[in-house]
Amino acid sequence: MFQYTGYILAGVGGTVAITVAAFAIGALLGVPLAVASRSGHRLVRWPAISVIEVLRSVPNLVWLFLVFFGLPEVGIRLGPWATAILTLGVTSSAYLAEIYRGGFSGLGQGQWLASKALGLTTWDRGRHVLAPQLARVVSPTMATYAISLLKESALASTIGVVELTFRGGLVSQRTGDGLTTFVVVGVVYLLLSLPLAYTSRRVDSRLRAKFSVG
Amino acid sequence: MGPDRRAGAAFLEASGVTMRFGDHVAVRDVTLSLARGEVVSIIGPSGAGKSTFLRCVNLLEIPEQGSLRVGDTSLTVRPGAKPREKDIQPLRRKLGMVFQNFNLFPHLTVLRNVSLAQERVLGRSRAEAEARSMSLLDRVGLAGKAGAYPGRCSGGQQQRVAIARALALDPAVMLFDEPTSALDPEVGAEVLAVMKELAGEGMTMLVVTHEMAFARDVSDRIVVMVDGAVVEAGEPRQVMSDPSHPRTRSFLSAVLGR
Amino acid sequence: MDGFLSDLQVLGPGLGTALQLAGLSLALAYVLGLVLALLVDARHQIVRIAALVVIEVGRGLPLLVILYLIYRGLPQAGLYLDPMPAAVVGFTWSIGAYASEIMRSSLNAVPPGQREAAAALGLAPRSAYRDVLLPQAARIAVPPLMNLAIKAFQLTSLAYTITLSEVMQAAYLRGSVTFEYLRTFVAAAVLYAAVAIVASLLVRRFERRLNRHV
Repeated sequence: MFQYTGYILAGVGGTVAITVAAFAIGALLGVPLAVASRSGHRLVRWPAISVIEVLRSVPNLVWLFLVFFGLPEVGIRLGPWATAILTLGVTSSAYLAEIYRGGFSGLGQGQWLASKALGLTTWDRGRHVLAPQLARVVSPTMATYAISLLKESALASTIGVVELTFRGGLVSQRTGDGLTTFVVVGVVYLLLSLPLAYTSRRVDSRLRAKFSVG
Repeated sequence: MGPDRRAGAAFLEASGVTMRFGDHVAVRDVTLSLARGEVVSIIGPSGAGKSTFLRCVNLLEIPEQGSLRVGDTSLTVRPGAKPREKDIQPLRRKLGMVFQNFNLFPHLTVLRNVSLAQERVLGRSRAEAEARSMSLLDRVGLAGKAGAYPGRCSGGQQQRVAIARALALDPAVMLFDEPTSALDPEVGAEVLAVMKELAGEGMTMLVVTHEMAFARDVSDRIVVMVDGAVVEAGEPRQVMSDPSHPRTRSFLSAVLGR
Repeated sequence: MDGFLSDLQVLGPGLGTALQLAGLSLALAYVLGLVLALLVDARHQIVRIAALVVIEVGRGLPLLVILYLIYRGLPQAGLYLDPMPAAVVGFTWSIGAYASEIMRSSLNAVPPGQREAAAALGLAPRSAYRDVLLPQAARIAVPPLMNLAIKAFQLTSLAYTITLSEVMQAAYLRGSVTFEYLRTFVAAAVLYAAVAIVASLLVRRFERRLNRHV
């Protein structure tokens, strides 16, 4: 058996930690970004849309390098872990904001108007009518995004975060057997994404069963 | 010349057609025949299996069992044996189909919609096919729309194009699957007018419809389906004014508001 | 400002390499994607499963791991590839897998009535595909395939990790000489963002034209 498998597997924790932390940050920051980008005021809407566009237009690797190598010049020093989690978290907020926006427009005006007609306050409308439906509509897409974030987390290895891919790189240098090493690493990533893929598919079919008409 | 209704002169014949979706029997042992030139309307409550039966006739749905014949082309489907594409083709070639939702090809102009299958199926030259298409479009009053895309046509216009498209293959029998259900009443009227004209020219037609006026005035016979089975058939006036089956009575009183 | 322009100048040759990598991989990936999309519906189960494995692994692995697998792994099997060919192979696999998914779902997105109308008119399956289904599927597939192209360009930044001299490599080298990482990586970010934003504006315009008469 490949003797370094245990050492590689020890990287699972780091990979999962980056993914989960960055996802949480993105999911939170994405909400105000999405709301602002649909605001009626141009001065709110345009900056929000610009932020989303710029965050998405620059590759994650460039953001990581910019923060890790560039920001110390202006006195902002973050370690590799903090850099990876914060950077991926902030860029995720743009992707997740887009997913929320898609959810908003998918719900359509009908629900909003209907709840208005019932005389609910804006807060109650958001809290009891929109949010639960929105959560259901966007959760499959969010699960899909979580899978791609899991893969993006491999980029953290380039700034020295000791996660799955980084450990793979070390082992392949030590043993000279890059083939076995990265096959093992690859299998671990596939296994990690399975539960997420399963969730996204299950949520999707459950939603369809629940919300389909006729 | 009236329809030829002598025994044995059936031009389209469907017998023992049964279709199941899982446990649900959608069409239950339906037998129906049309003489050449005859117009038959199938009416009945929604969910009665009318459309499914019609789709079985040209094998868009493969029935579990049943026999189909148009002229001298026939096909028998036995349980568990799916008919092959090349056995289906000859039968389909004799049947023109008009769908509830038109199903025009959105990426092709009206003219190409009508001529495509003439070239691919009948092997007509492009010039020949387009000439024929133009004369059919003229007949349904849409020669002016030949160069337009379906998206630029109203629903009624699209459905008339769909009729021209089906006629272009010189079918022996035309099948209509609720051709006006997706249309506003006034727009549906243009479509019904074209169908009425077609019936007057002696086309053999099998029509699934909710248009009671059309069923009464244009068809030679009405067939009533309930729960997948034929419960009553006869001359329109007799079925409409003096239905013998209780389900027909309740259905008619619901739709006619009596 | 002057310095900024000179930064961009330094990154220029890297941009050329990046565009070359993206262009070459995309051309191959679209072909691979189409082949995979068709094989997934193949008659033989073994062919179907093989195609699915290629797709799922291509989509499931981080591109970084795919690149390492090819660049550092394949030499174990006696196959040495230079950075550019290695990157092209890795990109083609990953992007081809995504392309095949787009093509497959586009074909499924053609309304079922179209297939039925073609059948009712007696069109043979081959003609139904060529004249009716594929042209409509292509219309659905083109915008996401173009967005995939933008994504591919952004991903070229990863080829830096297998020593391809693209934009990131140029930026990193420049930074390590001048110690002005911030400026160089900002320049790199601007370069990526400019290409991505201009390209996505073009895609949006093209999309509108495509939907003119549908």
